Amino acid sequence: MTCPAKQQPLPRKLNGGQFQKNLALTTMVLPGALWYLLVRYLPMGGIVMSFLDYKLPTRKIPFPVNLFHSKWVGLKNFSFLFTSESWVMIRNTLGYNALWIVMGLVLSVAFAIMMSELTKKILAKTYQTLMFFPYFLSWVVAAYFLFAFLDPTNGMIVRAQQAATGTAIDWYNEPKYWPYILTLCSMWKNTGYSTVLYLSAITGIDRTQYEAASVDGATKWQQVLHVTLPHLKPMIVILLIMNVGKIFNADFGLFWSVPMNSAPLFPATQVVDTYVYRAYTSTRNVGMSTAAGFLQNLVGFICIMTANAIVRRLDEESSLF
Amino acid sequence: MTAVSINKHSSRFHLRLNQISRGTEFLFALILGLFALLCIIPFVFVVIISFTGESSISSQGYSFFPLSWSLDAYRQVLRLGDLLWRSYFNSFLITIVGTVLSVTLCILYAYPLFRRDYKFRSFFSFLSFFTMIFGGGLIPTYIVCKNLLGLSNNYAALIVPMLVSPFNIIIMRTFLQTTVPFELIEASTIDGAGEYTTLCRIVLPIMKPGIATVALLTALGYWNEWFLCMLYVTEKKLYPLQYLLMEMQKNSEFLARNSSMIGASGAEALKSLPSQTMRMAVVVFIVLPIACAYPFFQRYVVAGLTIGSVKG
Amino acid sequence: MKKLLSLVLAALLIVAALTPALAESPVEITVLFEGCNVTDDAAVLEQLNAYLAEKIGVTVKPVWGTWANFNDLASNAINAGSDEYDVMFTCSWTSNEYAPYAKKGAFVRLDDPEDNLLDEYGKDVEAALPALLLEGAKTEGEDGEKGIYAIPGFKDFATMNCWDVNVTLLEKYGYTLDDVKNAGFYGWGDIFATVKAGEEAEGKTFYPFIFEGAVAERIVDGVSIVPGDANLLLSYYYNKEDVSAPGAYGTELVGKFATPEFEKFAKQMREYFQAGYIDPAIAIGETATDAWRNAQNTANYLISTEVSLYGYEVTTSEARGVQVAYLMDYDAPYIDNTSVQGAMMAISANSAHPVEAMKFLNLLNSDPTVITLLCYGVEGVHYNLNDAGEAEFTDTRTNSYSVWVNGVGNVTLLPPTKGQGADFQQKFAEFYGGSKKLPIYGFTFDTAPVQNEIAACMNIKEAYALTLWTGAGDVDALLPELLSKLEGAGMQKIVDEANSQLAAFLAQ
Repeated sequence: MTCPAKQQPLPRKLNGGQFQKNLALTTMVLPGALWYLLVRYLPMGGIVMSFLDYKLPTRKIPFPVNLFHSKWVGLKNFSFLFTSESWVMIRNTLGYNALWIVMGLVLSVAFAIMMSELTKKILAKTYQTLMFFPYFLSWVVAAYFLFAFLDPTNGMIVRAQQAATGTAIDWYNEPKYWPYILTLCSMWKNTGYSTVLYLSAITGIDRTQYEAASVDGATKWQQVLHVTLPHLKPMIVILLIMNVGKIFNADFGLFWSVPMNSAPLFPATQVVDTYVYRAYTSTRNVGMSTAAGFLQNLVGFICIMTANAIVRRLDEESSLF
Repeated sequence: MTAVSINKHSSRFHLRLNQISRGTEFLFALILGLFALLCIIPFVFVVIISFTGESSISSQGYSFFPLSWSLDAYRQVLRLGDLLWRSYFNSFLITIVGTVLSVTLCILYAYPLFRRDYKFRSFFSFLSFFTMIFGGGLIPTYIVCKNLLGLSNNYAALIVPMLVSPFNIIIMRTFLQTTVPFELIEASTIDGAGEYTTLCRIVLPIMKPGIATVALLTALGYWNEWFLCMLYVTEKKLYPLQYLLMEMQKNSEFLARNSSMIGASGAEALKSLPSQTMRMAVVVFIVLPIACAYPFFQRYVVAGLTIGSVKG
Repeated sequence: MKKLLSLVLAALLIVAALTPALAESPVEITVLFEGCNVTDDAAVLEQLNAYLAEKIGVTVKPVWGTWANFNDLASNAINAGSDEYDVMFTCSWTSNEYAPYAKKGAFVRLDDPEDNLLDEYGKDVEAALPALLLEGAKTEGEDGEKGIYAIPGFKDFATMNCWDVNVTLLEKYGYTLDDVKNAGFYGWGDIFATVKAGEEAEGKTFYPFIFEGAVAERIVDGVSIVPGDANLLLSYYYNKEDVSAPGAYGTELVGKFATPEFEKFAKQMREYFQAGYIDPAIAIGETATDAWRNAQNTANYLISTEVSLYGYEVTTSEARGVQVAYLMDYDAPYIDNTSVQGAMMAISANSAHPVEAMKFLNLLNSDPTVITLLCYGVEGVHYNLNDAGEAEFTDTRTNSYSVWVNGVGNVTLLPPTKGQGADFQQKFAEFYGGSKKLPIYGFTFDTAPVQNEIAACMNIKEAYALTLWTGAGDVDALLPELLSKLEGAGMQKIVDEANSQLAAFLAQ
């Protein structure tokens, strides 16, 4: 089974209306393109701030003229990201992201398929609604929730442990538990969202294909392998590529709020974003924070291009562009 | 039309034959149920906290089984009066207007990118995709939005900066690829229909689940948004509900972080801030409407499952 | 027809040209405040603007920044070079940091020799504020010259780092305030043990010692914040017998965690922590302040810390329903740039109306009508004066017009609030008049040359500091680890830079 869009070569006979067609389609793209130019591309000139000792704009030297009056400092703004301690945050950022991309993918595809197999639609609907709730609760609120269990004095788990064994784990002082806790939190928050995406992609699959497979004697599992997954492939690949592009960016709220800013947990909770935020609040250096963002983007860009090139070689239709 | 109804009929018939075993289904239901429970419990917890008495919190912390119950938090929230209802209204306005505009733009942008025969397809694809990776940073964006586009202390400031999302465009394009057969478009063009007619008459009806999904994600994005408000809005009458909550949160965070600098006058300021339980009550106020609106979107997403093929 | 039209047009033009000359319309200036929660300022602005327009030809459009959004509003406006604020709050500890931004040219120099706004339009400020306040506002500008770039608020401008003692609870167990004083921080073990055992016998968890870690260290070791070092990486050790005399390290600045004094302090904290006297919640960054303030407010502590101010015992004793005492173990409240620059108002370098802004600041710091309207609101609506001349706030103020008074201007011009007594402001001014300058007074560390090192060291310090301050971790393992990591990240460079700047400052 292949995607329907892949079957036919491009129609050549429509050449007569080529110009008109392209014109019409371009008018559709135009409002969005205009928005991109104004709101996204125009400010991109600011990336140059990564290499400058930024001089404040004033009445006489307004923005962006002030950029030309700022001193060029080369890569100096980047150097705070590379100290003897940086490997911890880089390891954490890449490690968590890589793990969560894979786990998130498996979980949400599995959930979406399971959900589509439920015959009691009311159950499917209810589950789906409930799965979206984490999306509404900010990380701050989630952090309170976790704290209610792990609070060193009143936490529910802590109390239970004390009652059972006399001692309790000092959760906010022991980094070794936090990779698991953070993973759980991340799955909790994001799985519902992508499950819905996959579920609506499954919704779009032509039911007759399952029937045909079933008539041919395919088991349910075979149907999933040969009908559902190939149909989900474009969505899976696209989401995968896009996530790979953010591999150097961490979910700031998760790493900032959930560990309650507990100092001993830093080895497990420090990521590029929290590091840069702390650095920015301590120096107020616009150049340094722009530099960090630019570097994150650059890494993301390289990763995404690589991933896209690989996908392109394997299956051109699924690639991002 | 007749073809559709026959199709529908036969798929229902087969669906019944083509089911997983009861045992497997029960297992699936159980796994999903557990996860769903995990998702809802924290919210239940928030609701409980919002009804917890302050004295209970100061003596035993947050708990599922508080020592005392109270409606104080909700009284405090309602005491916000105009500010509360006004920000409720703002949230609805921003979400509705923002979602309609944003989804329209998204469809208009994604559809040509789905058309393999569109000449500038790869150019505009890249134009969109590139912004997902690279941005100009806070200050230049702020200057463009505020000084050039005039996004300051108005509703546009809360809508325009997140009007177009490359992520949603890619999702929408992928939906189109998986659900709309290209022959259909060809056929329509041969019939002499214009591009806009093809989009509205042929593509949109098939795309309902995809549109509903993107609309849902966009609406959630707008409903949860507060950062734009912090950057561009200082007038309280324009605050959306979510920012009202974030402001309470950030107020207390700031005072906590700077307590030794502000000294004793900070203690007074801290005391005058909304209580923890009140913040939880505001969370309840925020979540309820969208939880109620969710089934509306869901109808389109899940509808496809029960109807069988949506393709005519 | 055409003639008529052109006549009418000409007439209109003349009228339009004459109007501003006839009725000089007041200049509107925008003022960005910090820490306010204002939803309805119409009544205040009506009175205030009528008054200001008549007096100085200015009207004010306030932007009520909150604790939540001020940092972003101010720093974005400055970094974008925006002219949206004519006057803005600035200080030594928010993101709108006074010294660095003055140096970058964000503010108008008020005592510019060529255009001295202060002398010309701010005479009353100079008269109303103690001379040392304006002196403390001097900082380096873009040109490297020292000058005044903001008007400091006349408030609690000297620092009082105090132990906050719950005397009622103390006396319940037969101790007196003198026992606490005489035993000192290193000898409180027995008192803690007795009180903890006594309170827990009543069946609850009780921690006698709940405090703010950084402040406890300042009290015990006699350390002040080094102005400009917002990340608390450095220490200045003052002389507890006489804060204006050189301290244990002379006038040298040292790395905060590198001294034997710090190690001794941290080890004692560890001992108290392991004995169960310290609430573990104050060792977790996000819950620390809540736990500490909550314990204070419910009087559920024995000893705590407070950065106190004049007359605060009365306020807290009443609020908590117990007798509270503040112990300060050095001879007088001390002043340094951090405290003097704790709340200021600056004129934006991009303001189109610096003169009008200065006229406004002049009144804000010398005219009781202006500051009372801004801080308290309208009499009869937002507050009422009782027979003693004290202000009692109404619900309207609490609900819709809450202003952070210390961030506005000269608070000694305000009527006292309920319970403070009619002569509160005189006593307040006198009290702070008696405070002493630290030997490093006037110095602000310019971190620009070592920003990369600061960014790295700050991130390392954050991973250890609170744990060490509160005794929550093993000092013998953590302290050497912290010191070696700091060294690897260039801590010595920061210390050296700070000391060479300080030496240059003192040599002047």
